[in-house]
Amino acid sequence: MTKKSSAEVIVDLSSVSMRYRRTRHRSSSLKQTAIQTVKRRINFEQFYALDDISLQVKRGETLAVLGRNGAGKSTLLRVVARVLPPTKGRVIIRGNVAPMIELGAGFNTELTGVENIMLYGSLLGRPIKEIRSRIEPIAEWAGLTEHLDVPLRAYSSGMVARLAFATATDTVPDLLLIDEILSVGDESFQAKSRERTLELMNSGCAVIMVTHNLASILEYSDRAIYLESGKIKAAGSATKVIAKYKADLAKK
Amino acid sequence: MEIYDSAIKQSPVISQLKAIYKARGLLKILVTRDMTVRYKRSVLGIWWSLLNPIVTTGVLFYVFNTVFRSRMPDNTSFLPYLLSGVLIVTFFNQSLLAAADSIAHGAGILTKVYVRPEIFATSSTISGAINFSIGLIPLTVVLLINGQHPTLNSVLVLVVILSMIFLIIGLALFVAIAFINFDDSRSIIAIILMMVQYMTPVFYPISVLGPNTLRVIKLNPLTSMLINFRSIYGGNGSTGWHMWAYMIGSSLTIFILGLWFFIRAWPKAVAKL
Repeated sequence: MTKKSSAEVIVDLSSVSMRYRRTRHRSSSLKQTAIQTVKRRINFEQFYALDDISLQVKRGETLAVLGRNGAGKSTLLRVVARVLPPTKGRVIIRGNVAPMIELGAGFNTELTGVENIMLYGSLLGRPIKEIRSRIEPIAEWAGLTEHLDVPLRAYSSGMVARLAFATATDTVPDLLLIDEILSVGDESFQAKSRERTLELMNSGCAVIMVTHNLASILEYSDRAIYLESGKIKAAGSATKVIAKYKADLAKK
Repeated sequence: MEIYDSAIKQSPVISQLKAIYKARGLLKILVTRDMTVRYKRSVLGIWWSLLNPIVTTGVLFYVFNTVFRSRMPDNTSFLPYLLSGVLIVTFFNQSLLAAADSIAHGAGILTKVYVRPEIFATSSTISGAINFSIGLIPLTVVLLINGQHPTLNSVLVLVVILSMIFLIIGLALFVAIAFINFDDSRSIIAIILMMVQYMTPVFYPISVLGPNTLRVIKLNPLTSMLINFRSIYGGNGSTGWHMWAYMIGSSLTIFILGLWFFIRAWPKAVAKL
């Protein structure tokens, strides 16, 4: 990849809305739906998980997203990760996206360490050849070189988490998505993984980070947005947005 | 650099087929995973996947051959007839459910990473096809004992397997959406699968059917799969090109329809995962 100017816009959302239809009776059985349809009493409730969101994240920037549960944070991450196409508006993502997902979601306990690195890496969209050449460094970083040929069910939960973190953070993507800063393993590994996260953030990728931990926002990012009911309630410098968010929390 | 723009609308079926082709590396890894888990790491290994069709065939053989004392017309020998039917139906049932579940239970990955879910369905189905191929070993043994020797025609099995793969993926994409949207769809699908199974001539000869029933049974794509499969080793005589055309045509049609439907239904379904 060629070197890019730091002003390059990686994430560009213009007036993005995400509308869901949910049935009022909240039951999702075929029988219920059939009865309701026959009675012509199916009424849907429209609700906006995201409502007219516009934002940009440039290369080298870290944007923190805060808001209460159900404010639309996860939906925003899914839209940016290309999992959900927006109902309205336009999403442009330049480059590859790497989500730091729930650790080990793609792991299989019957497979060995090597096999899991291959599986997880290819689920994250990396070419097989590239992953194969990275197996040694990943295992070394996770401190698991000697356990690579053992099935994962013989690993401790800390070892699994280390392997997942090491695999997920092995390459520098254009856009990094973080759903809660991951802190795994013992204290020394936690320090190591924080260091790796910061390293990734500073290596010239754009970062979108969702977290409830307000202290960590100030540590990692300078810009923030505050979501409520799918709308941007505040945006700007992290300190200001956090102050607004705290004030709102205190009101309730 | 790859640029994603949600405003660019692509021809959905073709662009998805391209996406699946592009992800063939992942596909290979997923199939290897299934095979490793099933065969390398389990004690019974390969025998385990043969157990189901062999036991089912044994029970049915006992019931029809010994209890009911039924005989096939034209001196067709019953055991290979039965075993081939059981193999096809097992392939169909197991892969269809595994493929649908790979999507319906894929929330951990599918809601967070951009992976086309069709790839999961495809890998499950290919794993099912490999299982089916292993089932061809006991079938060959039965045929050899029977005095029937494999001919060059045997390569046509590949055409049957490919058609099965397309048929199963297409249907699994419908079933996956049903599983996600309706909690009670599982029991209804189970009933439908049972009906399909009885609408396939697994243990009865087609010649006993009346003309109206025969018409319905022949509409079932699985029937054409099975008839063609049996014709390959000559157990049932040759079938004629139209049976092959129907098998290939119906499976490809269902595959395209499934893909077309899934692409439309998935954005809403993924929100419910």
